[in-house]
Amino acid sequence: MTQRGEFTYRRTHNASRELLFDCMTQPEHLSKFWGPDGTTTSADGITVDLRPGGAFETTMVNLADGSQYTMHAVYVAVERPAKIVWTEPDVEGGMITTITFTDIGGGRTEVVTHQTNVPDTFASPQARKGFETSLRRFDDYVAALISAG
Amino acid sequence: MTATAVDDLSLTFAALADPTRRAILTRLAAGEATVGQLAEPFALTQQAISKHIKVLERAGLVSRSRAAQARPCRIEPARFDVAAEWIGQHRRAWHDRYNRLDKHLAALQADSPD
Repeated sequence: MTQRGEFTYRRTHNASRELLFDCMTQPEHLSKFWGPDGTTTSADGITVDLRPGGAFETTMVNLADGSQYTMHAVYVAVERPAKIVWTEPDVEGGMITTITFTDIGGGRTEVVTHQTNVPDTFASPQARKGFETSLRRFDDYVAALISAG
Repeated sequence: MTATAVDDLSLTFAALADPTRRAILTRLAAGEATVGQLAEPFALTQQAISKHIKVLERAGLVSRSRAAQARPCRIEPARFDVAAEWIGQHRRAWHDRYNRLDKHLAALQADSPD
């Protein structure tokens, strides 16, 4: 059950938690998969200061026109091999990303990615609680509306 | 996303952060209804339902016909599309990223099978 999250994305991979955690936190790994097709993210363009309050930054270069986009994030929690949390304060009013790694046996790991937007309007605890509930249900609700007509 | 688009998203989510309003939207998804018809299932006055409808109107999720006395309300799917699009965009980005991660893992495991 998501405690918070704009959406939740679940995926299973044929790899250990440790390897997956390292893939998510080491520039040499990140450079191989982080940026979308059509971009390149060199290990030099990646900053990982793997501790709460440390920087997590990636610079993606668009291969077509050389333009760059840098993601600026700050780690909130780092718990190898179970969990990583970071926040992007400058994006869409603030975004929090939580990734958890669960060993499901057979050398496989379930990776759950939660991402939530944090608009100013929802600073109060009651408002945040209502917001989180509606976010959790909104996704299913919209899917139902879309499939209904 | 522009600041305006984020504010719109905030209005949308705020509008949805209420079970009565979500129920109103569910009913309107099935077709137009007047305030009186919408109030029927709830132990609420028409005035209270009107307030909820105003919130939904401000968020652009519902529109109310000005024409008749009865003023039927209808759902406006466009704003749903914006919020759904936001969710969809981010999901797709992560989906593609994890696809690339799987390719990277396969390459690693091919290099050192053990």
